[in-house]
Amino acid sequence: MNNLSFLSTYDVLRQHGVDRRDFLRFCVTTAAAMGLEASMVPTVVAAMETKPRIPVIWLHGLECTCCSESFIRSSHPIAQDIILNMISLDYDDTLQAAAGFQVEAIRKKLIKDHPGGYLLAVEGNAPTKDGGVYCTVGGDTFLNVLKETAEHAKAIVAWGSCASNGCVQAAHPNPTGAMPVHKLITDKPIINVPGCPPIAEVMTGVLTYILTFDALPELDRIGRPKMFYGQRIHDKCYRRAFFDAGQFVESWDDDGARKGWCLYKMGCRGPTTYNSCSTFKWNNGVSFPIGSGHGCIGCSEAGFWDNGPFYQRLSNVVVPGIDATPNTIGEVLGAAAVIGVGSHLVSTVVRQNARKVHVDDTPPSGDKGE
Amino acid sequence: MAKVIQPFDPKDVVAHPEAYFRRAYVWQVPVRITHWVSALCVTVLFLTGLYIASPILAPSGEPAHHFVMGRIRQIHFAAGIIFVISFLVRIYWFWAGNNYARSGFPFVWRASWWRDLFRQATDYLRLERGHVHLGHNALGGSAYTFFVIFLGWVQIFTGLALYSETNPAGILNKLFGWVIPLLGNSYRTHMIHHLVAWAFPIFALLHIYIVTYDSTQYGNGLITSIISGYKFYRQGDIRNDEWLS
Repeated sequence: MNNLSFLSTYDVLRQHGVDRRDFLRFCVTTAAAMGLEASMVPTVVAAMETKPRIPVIWLHGLECTCCSESFIRSSHPIAQDIILNMISLDYDDTLQAAAGFQVEAIRKKLIKDHPGGYLLAVEGNAPTKDGGVYCTVGGDTFLNVLKETAEHAKAIVAWGSCASNGCVQAAHPNPTGAMPVHKLITDKPIINVPGCPPIAEVMTGVLTYILTFDALPELDRIGRPKMFYGQRIHDKCYRRAFFDAGQFVESWDDDGARKGWCLYKMGCRGPTTYNSCSTFKWNNGVSFPIGSGHGCIGCSEAGFWDNGPFYQRLSNVVVPGIDATPNTIGEVLGAAAVIGVGSHLVSTVVRQNARKVHVDDTPPSGDKGE
Repeated sequence: MAKVIQPFDPKDVVAHPEAYFRRAYVWQVPVRITHWVSALCVTVLFLTGLYIASPILAPSGEPAHHFVMGRIRQIHFAAGIIFVISFLVRIYWFWAGNNYARSGFPFVWRASWWRDLFRQATDYLRLERGHVHLGHNALGGSAYTFFVIFLGWVQIFTGLALYSETNPAGILNKLFGWVIPLLGNSYRTHMIHHLVAWAFPIFALLHIYIVTYDSTQYGNGLITSIISGYKFYRQGDIRNDEWLS
C-alpha cells in the first residue's frame, strides 16, 4: 500500500510542481464543466485540498484501451498530472510498472484494506459464454475478477461503451456473450460513462464530482451522468442551422459538403446520440467528427454497431431480421393491400354483372335475412 | 324465364322508401369530429414524416433565410399533438357515447363476437349481402382496434418520447422518456416510429375501399354516415348488432 493514498489531490499536485494558480484554474474549469455555479468553486477547491484521494482499482476486460488513451490525453494543460494524481490509482494492469502475481496481490490487498472504500473503474466488459474463458487475467477469468473486485467496491464507474452497453464485442452475434457491467453487477451503484472512448473532460468531470461531493452525480434512466449525457449532439451542433433550414450534404464531394451543410442525409447519428462532443469537442477543443465534415457514428449509444451502416440515414437502413428498409417494407405491404383490394373490386364487378343476368325476381320488400 | 333486375332498384327505393330502408342515428357528433380530425392529422403526419426521414428539398443560400425542415417538423409536431387530443376525446367518448361508439371494441371473450367476425369475413369474400350492421362489425372493429388504437398508441408513445428529446428536463420527458431505453435507444425508437407509420396509409386504403364497398353494395349510407351521423338499414339488419349488448 503506498502512502499517497493518504494525501489529498492538492498535496500530490504540489509535489509534482503544479503551482496553486494552475490548480485553481483546473478547479474552475472542472466546476464549469460539471454545471456548477461560481459559488461552488471553493467547495471543489476544498475537496481537492482536504479529502484523501479515492483509492481506485482500474480493471481492463474485453476492450481496446481507448478509454485510458482518452483519459491520459485530457485537454487541460496540467490535466495529465491532475488526472493521474487526482485519484490514487493503485491498480491498473495496463499503466502500472509491476506485473504478474505481484499485481494481482496488490489488487487482493486493496480489497482487504479498503472494504467498501475504493472506487472500481471498469474499462471493457466481461465475456460470459463458456464460463468466461474468452478473457482471462492472471489465470482467472475476467468475469471472476470483476465480481470479486465489485463485491467490496464503494461504487463502480463503467468507462466507455464496452462497460456501459457492450460496444463492438457485444454486437450481433456476440460470439463471446460479452455483457456490460450493469448486467453482471446489480447490487452496487454504477455510473455509466459511454463513448468509444468517452471524452477526457467527461471522465475527469465524473471523478471530480465524486471526489468533491462524495456521491455519484445525478444519473439518467440508463445510469449516465445527466450533466454530460443529458442532450443529444444534434441539440448543440454548430451545423444545426443547416438542418433546420433543410440544407443537407448529398454526397461527400458536393457543394453542400464544401459549405459545411448538415450531414443528416449522410447518416449522421447526432440526432439520436447523447453525448457532449458538440459542447466540449475533442483534443483540447480542436474539433469533433461533425466539425471535421464526418457524421457522428453514435458511439456512445447502446448497440450502435448494429444500427445499420454508418453512412446511411435511418430511412435507408434495413430493419434487423427483415432485411429491408422501412420504406420498402411499407411500399411492399401497400402494394399487397392494393392488389388485395383490386382483386376484391374486380370480383365484385364480375359478380354484379353476372347477377344482372341471372338473379330471379325477388319481391321489393324482401329481406334475405328474414 | 328469369327476369333481369337490379338487386336494389333505385326507383323502387324512391317510391317506397319505408319498404326498403329506415334511418337510425348512429355516429354522434364527437365520433364524427374525431374521425375527421384524426384523418386529417394522420395524413399530415405521414407526409411530413416522410419528408423528415428523407428531406428532398434543398434551398440554396444562407441557412438564416430558410426554415424548411424546421417548419415541417413544427407542422408534424402540431399535427401530432392535435391527433393525441382527438384520440383522447374519442377514448373518453368510448364510455360517454352511445352503444355504437363502443361497437368497435374486440369482445374476444364473447362467442357471438367470433361468430360475427367469421360471418363478416365470409360475407366479404363471397360478395354477399345479408349481414349488415348499424355499428361496427367485428371484423371492422378489430381492424380499427389494431390499426388505429393499438398502432396509434405505439405512434403516440414513440412520437412523444422522440419529441421530448428536445427538452430532456421537461414534463414530456418525465412522462414518455422511458420509452426510449425500453426500445433500446433513440435510433431504434425512430426506426419503429417510421416503420409503424406505414401501417396508416395501408389502413386508409383498406378502410376507404371497404366503406365504399359497403355503401354501394349494402345501401346502408356508410360513407355519408360519418358526415351526417345517420345510417340506413333494412328490418333484418338490426339483429346483427345484437351481439354487442
